[in-house]
Amino acid sequence: MSVSSEKNVQKSFTLPKSDFDQFFTLLAQMGTVYAAVKVSEQSFAFRAVTSAKQIAFDAIRTILPPKKFFYPPSETLITYDKDGIYENEPELEFKVIFGVHPCDLAGLGIMDKIFSSGHADSHYMRQREASFVIGHSCMPDKHCFCQSMGSDCAKSGYDIFLTDIDSDYFIEALTPAGDQFIALAQPILAGATDKDHERNHHFWETRSAAFTNGFNSSNLKVTMEGEWDNKLWDELGERCLSCGSCTPVCPTCYCFDLVDIASLNNDSGSRKREWDSCQFTGFAKVNGDFNFRPTPVDRLKFWYRHKLHGFDDAYADKTCVGCGRCTVSCPSGIDDIVAVVKALQVSSAAKTSEGADA
Amino acid sequence: MPENNSQSNCRPDSCVQNNSASRACTPYLPTRAILSKITEMAYDNFLFEFEQIDPIFRSCLPGQFVEIWIPGAGESPISVCSGSVGETLQLLIRKAGRVTKALFNLKPGDWVGLRGPYGHGFPVDLYKGKNVCMIAGGLGVAPLRSVWQYLIEHRRDYGRLTLIYGMKHSDEILFADELIALRHSQKLELFLAAEDVTVCHIANLEIEAGRVTDLLDLAELSTDMQVAICGPPVMYRFAVERLRRLGIADENIWLSLERHMKCGIGKCGHCYIGGKFACQEGPVFQLTELANMHEVIEYPREKIQI
Ligand SMILES: Cc1cc2nc3c(=O)[nH]c(=O)nc-3n(C[C@H](O)[C@H](O)[C@H](O)COP(=O)(O)OP(=O)(O)OC[C@H]3O[C@@H](n4cnc5c(N)ncnc54)[C@H](O)[C@@H]3O)c2cc1C
Ligand code: SF4
Ligand code: SF4
Ligand code: FES
Repeated sequence: MSVSSEKNVQKSFTLPKSDFDQFFTLLAQMGTVYAAVKVSEQSFAFRAVTSAKQIAFDAIRTILPPKKFFYPPSETLITYDKDGIYENEPELEFKVIFGVHPCDLAGLGIMDKIFSSGHADSHYMRQREASFVIGHSCMPDKHCFCQSMGSDCAKSGYDIFLTDIDSDYFIEALTPAGDQFIALAQPILAGATDKDHERNHHFWETRSAAFTNGFNSSNLKVTMEGEWDNKLWDELGERCLSCGSCTPVCPTCYCFDLVDIASLNNDSGSRKREWDSCQFTGFAKVNGDFNFRPTPVDRLKFWYRHKLHGFDDAYADKTCVGCGRCTVSCPSGIDDIVAVVKALQVSSAAKTSEGADA
Repeated sequence: MPENNSQSNCRPDSCVQNNSASRACTPYLPTRAILSKITEMAYDNFLFEFEQIDPIFRSCLPGQFVEIWIPGAGESPISVCSGSVGETLQLLIRKAGRVTKALFNLKPGDWVGLRGPYGHGFPVDLYKGKNVCMIAGGLGVAPLRSVWQYLIEHRRDYGRLTLIYGMKHSDEILFADELIALRHSQKLELFLAAEDVTVCHIANLEIEAGRVTDLLDLAELSTDMQVAICGPPVMYRFAVERLRRLGIADENIWLSLERHMKCGIGKCGHCYIGGKFACQEGPVFQLTELANMHEVIEYPREKIQI
């Protein structure tokens, strides 16, 4: 499947890679450019960059997903003093986020749904609106399974998308802001030819064939429902440290806590929103010592359910986008989602065939 | 830039507080209210009254809750405990931890922050024309007070009303004066029980020795009753079992469930219960809704053999 297949021809362009510096200059005119840079032998992180040379174009997953730009780990929402309560204005710096992979774009799409629905979270929305997102094609490593989760081809979450077609970029715009930027960049772009479309198509076909990790996800919800009491959860729970490493790295984990920071004499202070983790012991505890998810097994299952089955939130679908971050960051090696799903599917299939035999 | 399908809930008056009426403000922004009165009820339970409240709280319905904020300490979800809210908002609060303790250090004239009302309460419209039984365990009497007051304010719209209230020790009884008046008014049938009864210090209130479940037999409930329950999690399974034995259908049983709630508006993820936000779709759930939900310890899965 190609990113361009659903799009209209006039919206596709090419840029010779040799002209990327000029393209970067145009991006930098909009605001601070953030892109994946190499931070250690094997890890990448989004950092502010001032030149194209700093960008790791072939980066694999960054340590943290781009949610941190719009939903920072800790953010002051409210301040107060003895006279009143005030909304703390988010620091609005226009951000140009370069090189977001399809899984992370899908993740942003999910975060957008959650924070924009119902009682919209204005801090998230305003920071999101002050951004320009440039999607970028990538090649899977052994932990990527976005293909299984249906998030391997970007459909939303970006303004323009760049596909690496050897000596050129194949560029598509999705939003009005994307169109505007394309208009601005017109002098260095060429309209995509049939040949370019073919090259783009070829890239995505090659990439689709490159996945080595994954599963058939057609029965995922049913499997999660039916295998709720599978003993695999107990085995995994026994090894879980409840360290909460799996949640901040996930592009779709949105749970938070609201905390007060009082000044010394307590007549002024602030209220912050901080990332929380459903893996922490007290997450679902209420007064009177009732904990609705007392053990790591309960909490792990809860998290897996959000990822592979989904909750009745504004998104109402499975929220794993297959980025593989939890798998690489879990110190106990239990967030190997692909292995877990496959094991559950085997058990589920065994039940079905038993049922058929009976 | 994202798709924006937001419908801001921002109220102009709270934005004015922030001098930025022109755009949506954060939904976590409380409005100020002034603590006007503190009345001791029993042990660590006090009735707090607040004035100069945002007019939005007049829309409070029985079983809904508000988020009360003590600056510097934090926020707690607390049930609305009166049938309707006019100039003052009443909250019955038990000293539990950081936030609730901080509240006990305040004095009349001090300010707090309030957000809400939030959640789905008891379906008082659906109860119209029907017999209603309210079952309270311990502090669960606070949200149920909003129900009985509402039903009595609209007494003609409802059939037979029964209130069953159980507590650990008879000294812990809350709203005793109101209960005495209710018993005299004969607007509802009242049944009280405590696991430990000392000679009742409150005249005219007979408290049986026993549990809520014992009272269910005494109360001679009819099978067509709508039942509203709120109490500690352990109480539900026993109460529900007994109600089923008495022939009351699951669809007529409504439970108010307590979960850890931080935001109250379906964002923070703390209150998830089987994948639903208790703060939005609850805290009151119809028993049948809970049947297929995981993590509902209040729902007895095994069917009762009658
Ligand atoms: C819908 C709803 C209605 C409620 N109505 C009332 C009421 O009318 N009167 C009343 O006294 N209490 C009520 N509670 C309980 C009350 O919210 C908690 O006792 C209070 O939040 C404890 O906060 P704390 O800071 O004082 O205690 P903490 O020091 O924070 O902790 C004490 C205990 O309370 C738990 N807790 C902390 N924060 C919350 C929270 N946000 N939600 C639930 N549990 C929490 C902790 O896990 C711990 O077990 C209600 C709770 C809910 C969910
Ligand atoms: S659950 Fe794991 S693989 Fe799936 S999106 Fe979250 S971090 Fe990525
Ligand atoms: S990262 Fe692994 S060990 Fe840590 S809480 Fe998540 S599943 Fe448990
Ligand atoms: S209390 Fe935050 S989602 Fe329900």
